[in-house]
Amino acid sequence: MRTDSHTLIRTEVLKLRTVRSPWLLLAASPLLVLAGVSGLVISGGNNLHDPTTQAEALAHVGLTSIFTLAFGILAVAGEYRHKTITDTYLSTPARGRVIAAKLVVYAAFGALSGVLSTLVGLGVTAAWWADKGASFGWSSAGMWTTIGGGIAWNAAFAAIGVGVGALIRSLVGAIAVALAWIALVEGIVGQLVGGFARWLPFNAGQALGAAAKPMLSGDHLLPRWGGGAVLAAYTLAFAVLALATSVRRDVS
Amino acid sequence: MSQGITVRGLSKRYGSVTAVDGLTFDVEPGVVTGFLGPNGAGKTTTLRMLLGLVTPTAGEATIGGRRYAELDQPRRVVGAVLEATGFHPGRRGRDHLRVLALADGLPRARVDAVLDRVGLSDAADRRVGGYSLGMRQRLGLAAALLGDPRVLILDEPANGLDPAGMAELRELLRDLAADGRTILMSSHVLSEVAQTVDRVVIVAGGTLRYAGTLADLTSAKGDTLEAAFLQLTSSPHPTPAAGGTAPARG
Repeated sequence: MRTDSHTLIRTEVLKLRTVRSPWLLLAASPLLVLAGVSGLVISGGNNLHDPTTQAEALAHVGLTSIFTLAFGILAVAGEYRHKTITDTYLSTPARGRVIAAKLVVYAAFGALSGVLSTLVGLGVTAAWWADKGASFGWSSAGMWTTIGGGIAWNAAFAAIGVGVGALIRSLVGAIAVALAWIALVEGIVGQLVGGFARWLPFNAGQALGAAAKPMLSGDHLLPRWGGGAVLAAYTLAFAVLALATSVRRDVS
Repeated sequence: MSQGITVRGLSKRYGSVTAVDGLTFDVEPGVVTGFLGPNGAGKTTTLRMLLGLVTPTAGEATIGGRRYAELDQPRRVVGAVLEATGFHPGRRGRDHLRVLALADGLPRARVDAVLDRVGLSDAADRRVGGYSLGMRQRLGLAAALLGDPRVLILDEPANGLDPAGMAELRELLRDLAADGRTILMSSHVLSEVAQTVDRVVIVAGGTLRYAGTLADLTSAKGDTLEAAFLQLTSSPHPTPAAGGTAPARG
């Protein structure tokens, strides 16, 4: 009787429940939202009565995907770091199923992190708006689609993180590569070369989860649905790569 | 099919380096078998191939006739204590075992049972980061015993154990072997091995140098295990060993 997927998923959840470090990482997300929204208000350059500003505030939810990316990297690279990967593959030699379970569980927690960031974001934004005498539109469609995009961006980046960690396996290396990619390749190089940068994963995420204008880098982004499709394609690509490489690789 | 270990023509090449070269030997149930060799002899690589962690370049290694990946619930058949197995320092010892028990479909009562068997019940609810080396070794052993396996594979298990710990381990292994289980233990501490094992497999330079009983080896090659070991492993190529089953090379 082979271990079923339900058990593998429960095992990944139990692994997360019995340590503290991944949660500390995710705790940075609501703080980022708090700081981002407050900064947006305090900087004074934004018209709080303009409904798009509301969406821009909640776009910080999507930005926390940087943290969920690191969280996803912990899934496999963290196991290599602490050398628990040996036990994991001894219990379940069908490694592809382990990676699949990790993809599902970490994406789910990435989404939950997005939801938590949303709750914090709504609270903080509503409070600031009230403080500044602006009326907070709870049914603003632009805001809710930004939130939805931001949560999806978080889930996708958590899954992509699992893939990056499975490919690079060194925890420090994987996180360094991920951050360097976002800051340098998508950020700076993308600006210089222009045009193609909008097709890269972080920028696709910004298209999906930002409020019609990018928050970090990049002049032109894809339309929201385009960003979503491209991000979904990257997620699938990283998942397939992670599965393919993990199955054949020697564990030493 | 008995739950013995069978290795046939097992080889592993990493680019131009041959770590394991055509190993063929059997490990029988009911005895403790020592797996000996100098550093870099290919012992750890061989064990990893047996456990499905490393893919052989050629040949095969099976347990009860099946490869590790073909076993339905591997930890119920084979328990392994490897040097490279680690623990998340922030996780409690008990939780480490709970994770394995869940993944392997084992009842939670097994966790308490193995903790008790290795003497870690008191420390089980502390985080592994605070464990001594000896405690980590015992946790690793507990993990290996979780599925009550018929086959036990240990890579340098006496590392970090004090004399009392080594004596306890020796007794445990002999008890398990007397129960009909297959025990394969790699070690550098020849004096300890001599007190624990009945049969030995000796490798050096990735090739087999001897496979047979400890008694036959010491009677043919010198009075002590150490003398026989050094003689067999000092040359780069295998020399015929009386009483052993070193494969003919041609």
